[in-house]
Amino acid sequence: MGLFSPWFLAGLAGLALPFYLHLLKRQTRQPKAVSSLMLYESRTQSSTRHRRLRYYLLLSLRLAMLLLMILAFANPFLNRNAAAVASNRLLLLVVDNSFSMRAGTRLADAKQAAMGVLAGKGAARAQVAAFDSELRLMTQPIEDQSALRAAVEAIQPGDGHGNFGELARAVRAMAESVHTPIELHLFSDMQRSGLAASFADMALPGNVQLTPHAVVTKAQPNWTVESVDAPGQVWGKDAKPVHVQAVIAGYGTPAAQRAVSLVVNGKTSATKTVAVPANGRATVDFPALEVPYGFSRCEVKIDSADGFPADDLRRFAVERSDPQKALLIHNYGDNRSPLYIGAALAAAAQSAFVLESIAVNEAADRQPSNYAFIVLSDLNSMPSILENSLAGYVKAGGSLLIAAGTSAGGRLEIPIFGARIIETRDYSRVPDRFMAVGASDSSYPAVAKADGWAGVKFFYALNVDPGDARVVVRLGDQTPLLLEKRIGEGRVVLLTSGLDNLTNDFPLHPAFVPFIEQTARYLAGSQRQGGARTVDAFLELRNAKERTQGVEVTDPEGKRPLTLGEAASAQSFQLTEAGYYQLRLADGRRNEVGVNADPKESNLDVIPGDVLALWQGKGGQAGEDPSAASRPAAPAKTRESVWWYVLLAALVAAAAESVLASRYLGTQREEK
Amino acid sequence: MEQRFLKPSILAGISGLELVAKTVVDGFVSGLHRSPDFGFSQEFAEYAAYTPGDDLRRVDWNVYARTERLFLKRFRGETNSVLTILLDASNSMQFGSHAVNKMDYARYLAASLFYLAIHGQRDAAGLITFDDEIRNYVRPSTRQGQLHRLLAGLEQAEARARTDFSKPMRYFQDFLKRRGMVLIVSDFWESPESLVRTIEPLRFRGNEVVLFHILDPEDVRPKLSGPSILVDLETEERLEVTPDFAKQEYRGKVETHLADLRDRTRAAGMGYCLLMTDRPLDEALREYLTLRGGRN
Repeated sequence: MGLFSPWFLAGLAGLALPFYLHLLKRQTRQPKAVSSLMLYESRTQSSTRHRRLRYYLLLSLRLAMLLLMILAFANPFLNRNAAAVASNRLLLLVVDNSFSMRAGTRLADAKQAAMGVLAGKGAARAQVAAFDSELRLMTQPIEDQSALRAAVEAIQPGDGHGNFGELARAVRAMAESVHTPIELHLFSDMQRSGLAASFADMALPGNVQLTPHAVVTKAQPNWTVESVDAPGQVWGKDAKPVHVQAVIAGYGTPAAQRAVSLVVNGKTSATKTVAVPANGRATVDFPALEVPYGFSRCEVKIDSADGFPADDLRRFAVERSDPQKALLIHNYGDNRSPLYIGAALAAAAQSAFVLESIAVNEAADRQPSNYAFIVLSDLNSMPSILENSLAGYVKAGGSLLIAAGTSAGGRLEIPIFGARIIETRDYSRVPDRFMAVGASDSSYPAVAKADGWAGVKFFYALNVDPGDARVVVRLGDQTPLLLEKRIGEGRVVLLTSGLDNLTNDFPLHPAFVPFIEQTARYLAGSQRQGGARTVDAFLELRNAKERTQGVEVTDPEGKRPLTLGEAASAQSFQLTEAGYYQLRLADGRRNEVGVNADPKESNLDVIPGDVLALWQGKGGQAGEDPSAASRPAAPAKTRESVWWYVLLAALVAAAAESVLASRYLGTQREEK
Repeated sequence: MEQRFLKPSILAGISGLELVAKTVVDGFVSGLHRSPDFGFSQEFAEYAAYTPGDDLRRVDWNVYARTERLFLKRFRGETNSVLTILLDASNSMQFGSHAVNKMDYARYLAASLFYLAIHGQRDAAGLITFDDEIRNYVRPSTRQGQLHRLLAGLEQAEARARTDFSKPMRYFQDFLKRRGMVLIVSDFWESPESLVRTIEPLRFRGNEVVLFHILDPEDVRPKLSGPSILVDLETEERLEVTPDFAKQEYRGKVETHLADLRDRTRAAGMGYCLLMTDRPLDEALREYLTLRGGRN
């Protein structure tokens, strides 16, 4: 017997408290006056007797309660013979069904080995679990052999990435609730890439005994399509040619020629041959991706020449659609703004937007809802009908970019945005004759890709009261430069300077193009990160304002994995299978993504024997043949924690103390 | 019947002993049932046949004129009596576990008896306060203003020193020259045997002696939440006592003490009345009137 946390025994000092309450505290009574002592007799003859303990039983219970609680914290354990506790042992059979187990007959071998262990253990209490990126329990702890065998048979190959750190974490959590020893049998290909970043994350508790059953003992060569770089969207029928770039990797492979194909909607559109160096990578470039309107399911695949064909392709989805229309409203005679904004959009956004520029006097008859977003550039006067129309457009969900310019200086507030104008700042009169950006919010997409607007000189800006707007960029003198505000269902971005190369030199800087591109995408709501994801990644289904609309997800098998409740409220969705997912998002847009297994699963290198021995807690046996690990270890002694029982005894003592103390208190009430 | 106006806790809120006494006596008298044992001095009681030797002044000559027979007219309380109250003013009398301590209660009692005696019975009343010495003496009298003198004597009686009956008792004899009623108001924390032996001589001269034993409820049932150090108010002696003793043995000893005192006083021809300070005063007044009636 011993203690796992003996330093908690310092709490034994707390045992002095009941003694204090029962002994010392009683000596502080004030003398009490009486009429006469004629009939009284002394009942405490000596000081020793005076200090005699009253309520011995109560004191004993209180001491016992404290002692047991301290002991429970100290976590006592009993050394028991392994044979003696074998009957209490829980047999936990974990079968790895990560993506790499699809190679060859690995999963079938693992299941067969699990069946063998089940048969050898007889009527032991056992539990079956599958494991890839997380531990999935297939049964409760049961002794029914047929149910356990059925559970092993039911384990299907998965697409997740095996992570032994996650396995250890799940087993640690389980060991806290299961107080009997756990005999963990792991049936896996022991992939090296499944090791946790820190070996400490894989530590197992003392009552868990790991027995690995490796279905392969050495690395196998494997080629794979490691990554594909392709756009998620293509705009219009006359879009520029789209490049698709793929990286072909070989793990433990000799130098070889591989045939790489680009497949669009099941048809091979291009094939190339690439020389992959020994145990290296090669890049393939397909210069023109031709896809029809709508979503296209594309993949890059290599010819199968190894024992793991499942990773020889990589999926992605591409959508071709018409470019969206954007409207620029500028002052009459202002040719600079249309020039710079139009050029930036054409250069960067892959023709995603068609910019229509009109003077303010022509804007009254335009229907704002026909445009993905609208830009107002330096308007010195705005007809009230246009202002009302734009305000309604924004409240209904439209987006607006306002460049204040110099003309707004005469106003009291920014139209539609509503910010009060405090003053105008003319930096051409300060010693440096310009003001640079002081602080910027790098989490804002329009600023993040524009390198913080370094080197841009601002000569003129409006100092506005931001109110409840989000200030994204401030100038060096803390003047708000870029602000965003949600109005109704829509959003308005305000630049307190101009976009015409007069009030600043921003349009001449490289940062201007990504700023316009990201702002346009942000305002149009068409941010998209490309049509490929990895298994176990999460997809955002809705933002906060779209809380009430339902979403729809269709998995690669054509099923709808979301329940009605989840479809109405889930913020995100985890992609659990490789294949193509179709989505209808809360804002009504449709989307399709190609989901691929984690590229780490393609590296079939196995965990070295010494590392495996270390994980088992047998560091001294480094270099031992991993196959020896399949023999169940039988330590002579097992430490079995008994804190639970000690705490239970403490609770019993506490209950008895309460009953007894209430009886004594009841006696005192009667006395009164 | 318990009278609302006789509760000690209510009397404690009244300032002025005279008002207290009036409240008590009026409340008590109004609650009385008419009884042959109780009456007032000018109240007609009965006619009795004249026998030779009777005082001719008592003959009802109007009856004789009508009937030519001699009858004596008799009244209740027709003889004046002398009431002397010996009030213990020792330190132990200031003990109290509630609003009224024993000294206050004794004052209320004495004031009420004086009021009843002077206003109701037209008796002479006097007061002696003592502890281990005689502290104050108000000579019995029926003169005008006697009640005020008595009440002033009660007001001045402060609890101090310790009780010692034997020492002042020999002086009592000098003061009590006329026979009458002697009421001793005290908590009597003395041995019943020596107490009765000390007081008994008062009885020999034909006085009616009644012991009004004033006790606080905690004198009889002390409340101790744990082992306590008790301090005697008179001797300042200290003693450690356990609740078990106070709850069991002490109560038994007190009951024995009270029974012994009662038996010995009655055996000595004296009256005994135990009064708890949380009880109304009517019991004491009743005792006095019973005694007074017996002297007719």
